[in-house]
Amino acid sequence: MLKNYFKIAIAVLKRRKFFTFISLFGISFTLAIIILVATFLDYVLSAGYPDTNRNRELYVSHMQLNSSKNHSQYNGGPSFYFINRYVTTLKTPEKIAIFSNSSATNSYTNNKKKVNNLRYTNDKFWDVLQFSFTAGKPYGKQQLDNAEKVAVISEETSEAYFTDDAAAVGKYIETDNVQYRIIGVVKSLPFSSNVYADMWVPYTLTKEDLKNTGLMGGYSAILLMSSKDDLDKTREEYDQMVSKVPMQDKQFDQMFTFADSYFQSFIRSMHLAEGTNSGMGIFLSFAGIIVLLFLLLPTLNLVNLNISRIIDRSSEIGVRKAFGASSKTLVYQFVIENLILTFLGGILGVVLSFVIIQVANSSNIMPNMVLSINFNVLFVTLLACVVFGLLSGVYPAWRMSRMHVVTALKAQ
Amino acid sequence: MIKHLFKLIWNKKKQNFLLMTEMLVSFIVMFAIFTLLVYYYQNYNRPIGLDYDNVWNLGYGSPQGMSDADSIANFRESIKQTIISMPQVEGVSFSDANIPYGDANIGTMIAYNKVNWPSEMYTADDNYQKVLNITLNEGRWFSKIDDASREKPIVINETFKERVFGRESAVGKIMSDAAFGKGTMKVIGVMNDMKDKGDYAGPQNGYFRRMDTSNTGGGGIILIKVKPTADAAFESRLYKTLSNLMRNTSIDIKHMDKERTKRNTQLLGPIIVLLIIAGFLIINVALGLFGVLWYNINKRKNEIGLRRAVGASGAGISKQLMGEALVLSTISLLVGAFFAVQFPLLNVFNIASGTYIIAIILDILFIYFLVLVCSLYPGRQAAAIYPAEALHED
Repeated sequence: MLKNYFKIAIAVLKRRKFFTFISLFGISFTLAIIILVATFLDYVLSAGYPDTNRNRELYVSHMQLNSSKNHSQYNGGPSFYFINRYVTTLKTPEKIAIFSNSSATNSYTNNKKKVNNLRYTNDKFWDVLQFSFTAGKPYGKQQLDNAEKVAVISEETSEAYFTDDAAAVGKYIETDNVQYRIIGVVKSLPFSSNVYADMWVPYTLTKEDLKNTGLMGGYSAILLMSSKDDLDKTREEYDQMVSKVPMQDKQFDQMFTFADSYFQSFIRSMHLAEGTNSGMGIFLSFAGIIVLLFLLLPTLNLVNLNISRIIDRSSEIGVRKAFGASSKTLVYQFVIENLILTFLGGILGVVLSFVIIQVANSSNIMPNMVLSINFNVLFVTLLACVVFGLLSGVYPAWRMSRMHVVTALKAQ
Repeated sequence: MIKHLFKLIWNKKKQNFLLMTEMLVSFIVMFAIFTLLVYYYQNYNRPIGLDYDNVWNLGYGSPQGMSDADSIANFRESIKQTIISMPQVEGVSFSDANIPYGDANIGTMIAYNKVNWPSEMYTADDNYQKVLNITLNEGRWFSKIDDASREKPIVINETFKERVFGRESAVGKIMSDAAFGKGTMKVIGVMNDMKDKGDYAGPQNGYFRRMDTSNTGGGGIILIKVKPTADAAFESRLYKTLSNLMRNTSIDIKHMDKERTKRNTQLLGPIIVLLIIAGFLIINVALGLFGVLWYNINKRKNEIGLRRAVGASGAGISKQLMGEALVLSTISLLVGAFFAVQFPLLNVFNIASGTYIIAIILDILFIYFLVLVCSLYPGRQAAAIYPAEALHED
């Protein structure tokens, strides 16, 4: 039966080549755009180098202080003090990475300027995040405690200063008017990474005053659990810990900070959040409306084309009805035909997006970002194909099935 | 004629309904795109209002270990003297983090006659105007005279002045800090708007307060106007000198022209992606419309043949079909325009109504153009139908 439908569908597609072209063009481009967006989001949001343990990690990267008296609200990152004094007391997480926001520093060698983005981190940072070292090794607890002027640099930085990575280790880079001894070189990170920097150095070297007891500052923490099951426990422990933190500044009376999954912390950074509301609802409904509007046009287009095509086939429908085919069978057939068309378009879309991704990767539009279509994305595409095919197929099929035998036969 | 066309369409309202919906959705999508484009184009055409060439911004953190106001003021003064004594420096000005093309925004509320106005807040010293070459419409910039004044002097921008004071002169008016309900501020000047958030940013309320160099809170940014001959060697020397002077804080030097380019690309990137997607949607819709119209003509061969037989000319047929398509689009455009007009009426997103109206007009013209182009070829084809052939088929 299905084989028959398939044959009919191919025959119909061949008959009116121009219409087939228009349909396939619309479907394949729509799906290609969906694939590209999904690939990009998947790349940014799912675990990848060097943050490979995302499924058993929580992120502390946002702090909101409210003053109900003045109706004012401050958003930012937590301070080093807050993380060091309170977050590190949590029992459930196995390891806690602390790192600062990246700060731009300047370096002048041979009268050439280079901007180095620096992050100040603790030693656990190198355990939580799975950096791959091309040369040397990270700094440990002792070097951190002694405030040794050492740095781990990215391959890109290494290339800018030295001939090869191995030669870089042990050499010095002067940036921010400080001489750092290089002890390790790591594979470069894409710009979208949450720990992106050109150089990572021990936090004890920062020129900021780490004893400052303000709650807001420019630091983040990643909590790594030994297993996924501990995530909820850690969240609970975190909330309890927060409720006991005394407010330092009399001006504020409410504090909101959470241990978030990566996606949640990503949404929270868009400043849709307010208080305990993470902003997820607003984000999802907004994204949903955009996707719906985006899909609406190609769908309507396809529905219009499909209706035209059906009328074209009225004689066929008339004959089938006259020989006893039920409306249901006809609807079924047409929807399947449309799904076949959509899947053909889907295959073209995958090919198209594959080409675009290859071009984007090789042209290095986004440095160090290597996109690839993976299983998740293909699943999303498959889903989109089915939704698209059903949306654009059901109404025309219903219209077709209601055609009267007589009119259908008489039409041509 | 038009009445007749309406009748023809009304008779096939069911078939035409989806086609009209498609046009309506295209209209709405294109309305959003055109609004964006018109908005950015209008902003792009506004004067920049500041001179970013050869201005470097030097960021520094809070000076540690200094708590009393006098020593901080002295510290800042010595930095200023050091910089200005360098041969390639033309001017120096202190500001806070909210500088043109910078990463920070500082928004606040400021009140006049008990009405609160949201406004961008900038901090600047007496030299700021010269360093960035800002022009004033009214009044004057900060100067030594203000040391003695009782009220805090502020300079507001033209947009803010027009919104709050209209045509009246603003100089001498007293405003107050809305968040705390205290502190009086006296307007001493009105400056021309500066597009400090990038070339495509819209007009925004803004006011400058005078920098208090003894202010202990946090770091800030020093704007340095250099001679065009200043090169990397000079920058390196400047950096070294200042790093030695400010041992307890990190500093970094940025070039304002590069920051401006960065800002603009950050904004243009998403717009270009949006335009590519919109372009694809339009091609898609155009091909679809073309296909459907073309198909409809094939279906109406009998009717057209009959009309030809009773004396309609080829051009007449072609006109009729194009007319039908245009009437169809007119109905969708009327519905679409009804929704679109709500935007300027309800003042959504704080964009000037003129922008929306231009966008609506462009959008209408665009959809008509699209429909006309798509019905041109099908119309011609219909005109070429021979009555004998068409009537013979049945």
